[in-house]
Amino acid sequence: MSTQTQTEAPTKNEPRFARVRDLWNEYLPYWFMAPMVIVMAMITVFPGAYDLYLSLIAEPTLNVLNAEFVGLRNYETAFTRGGAINSFVITITVVASALLLESVLGFVLAALVAGVDSSGAKSFYRVLFIVPMAVAPVSLATIGRIMLNSEIGIIPYVINTATPFAAPAFLSDVPLLTVVLLDTWNWTPFMFIIFYAGLSSVPETLIEASRVDGAPLWRRYLHVIIPYMKPVVFVAMLIRMIDLFRTFGVVYGLTGGGPGTATQLVSINIYEQMFINNQPGVAAAMAVVYLGLVVALANVVIAKVGFEGVWD
Amino acid sequence: MATRDGPAESATGSQRLEKGTRETLVKVARHGVLLTWSFVVLFPLYWVVSMSLKPPGQANSLPPDWVFLPTVYNYIQLAQRGEFVTAFANSVIMVAASVVLVLLIGVPAAYVLSRWDIPRERDVLVWILSSRMLPPIAVVIPFFVIFRALNLFDTRIGMVIMYVSINLSLVVWVMKAFFDGIPETLEEAARVDGATRFQSFRKVILPAAKPGIFSVAIISFIFAWIELLFGLVLTSFEAVPVTLYVYSFIGSRSIEWGMLAAASTAMIVPVVIFLIAVNKYLAAGLSFGVVIKE
Repeated sequence: MSTQTQTEAPTKNEPRFARVRDLWNEYLPYWFMAPMVIVMAMITVFPGAYDLYLSLIAEPTLNVLNAEFVGLRNYETAFTRGGAINSFVITITVVASALLLESVLGFVLAALVAGVDSSGAKSFYRVLFIVPMAVAPVSLATIGRIMLNSEIGIIPYVINTATPFAAPAFLSDVPLLTVVLLDTWNWTPFMFIIFYAGLSSVPETLIEASRVDGAPLWRRYLHVIIPYMKPVVFVAMLIRMIDLFRTFGVVYGLTGGGPGTATQLVSINIYEQMFINNQPGVAAAMAVVYLGLVVALANVVIAKVGFEGVWD
Repeated sequence: MATRDGPAESATGSQRLEKGTRETLVKVARHGVLLTWSFVVLFPLYWVVSMSLKPPGQANSLPPDWVFLPTVYNYIQLAQRGEFVTAFANSVIMVAASVVLVLLIGVPAAYVLSRWDIPRERDVLVWILSSRMLPPIAVVIPFFVIFRALNLFDTRIGMVIMYVSINLSLVVWVMKAFFDGIPETLEEAARVDGATRFQSFRKVILPAAKPGIFSVAIISFIFAWIELLFGLVLTSFEAVPVTLYVYSFIGSRSIEWGMLAAASTAMIVPVVIFLIAVNKYLAAGLSFGVVIKE
């Protein structure tokens, strides 16, 4: 046994200090876990419970005992006059279409870049394609406002002058499409970089074997590469889906939920109910339903596809 | 390259003669698509930067002035607004502090999750992930109330706590995967040499996990930096982040386009440079460890 070590045996130091150190080492896993568990409880259990409580009372109060419980009245208001259904439909539309678009585009770009011969060109594309991720959604909204503006925007100008078509008023005629396209610009890099790393991890031998079998390119992707990458594709899409449900900044900055309620995502609707209409109960009721929906959906996905490679 | 795909492996031998031509065609098509996307990525950035450098009056003229004399007028105007400088400094301080804090909390916990047999570990990991599933708007209402009660409303400390909350799950997940990839024999060797549990963690495991810690710090920084909602709800003046300042521009009735472009540029450019500098670490962090675990 090697005795050459940078540490002294604890008993050589004063005994009280050694005792503390023993406790520290003895229960290391607990000390290491405790702060995380406390913070996690604070940010998951507390908001969930508080939203639930808030959704069941008439007026918000810090005194739980004084609260006047109104049952499901806030939920009823949310779904009858609060536009909750409309918001849920819009949110799911945005999440589904952006997720699909970003996944396909991210995969195609990753596969194309992975096949570039010159290493210089390859790293040029790889670095450039992740750049939009650095743009905050609210900055993206300002860029969108500048470039899509019907009077001063470069994009409507180019469409109007260079093509026979008349440019739509992006923010009022096709607001949902505009939101999806801007999010795609912003977050395709996320899919691209994960898929690129995933593609690089496919063993050469596997591809070689299918090449020898004479499988055409699309078959090779469909039957060899994508199945191999399944965990990567799945985790990337799950994380992106979860984050898409958080979408707020780009819509808030771009359209503020309008025109009318055309882009009123659930998160925007809750924000308005809470801070503009001053209806915390209705806002909380929507938040509870939203929370349940997202957690349930994510759990279904996790249960269905499993998390191979993440835990054993 | 593992995923090298080209026409050369075509199944039919009869096409062998055209191989050279087809290869060139594929190459052209490939770079055509990639250059198109490069343009899509770059043009909006070019546009906002060039707009920020145009003198007032030229900023939004159509047809656009492709050639113009760049001026930093908009930036000087911006710098003279104390609120912008404060907001920018706020963001830098709050986001940096939150990254340090989230690493201090998340990395040790991830280490334990990786090395010890935790009862119902799978449930614990899903619970941790679920904190990211909570839509921020659902989280922010309770915190709005509690922050007011605890005098944390509109404070940097309050915002740091919120930024930690959005990134903690990410840190734990990515770092767990990283620690899983570090062979246990490394620690065992240190333990045999007489190191305590903590010493082996600090002197052996942490250095080995450095790339993971680095990548997760970058991602945490970005996610906190781009956050708008928490600033919108939980600050009013003192702890306003730069995202909120940029937003307040759009909210005003007459938009000063040049300054809006300058503010957006000031927010984007440092992060882009930072991102390019550290891009090789990004993939490992973003993929929650699935990729490196193969």
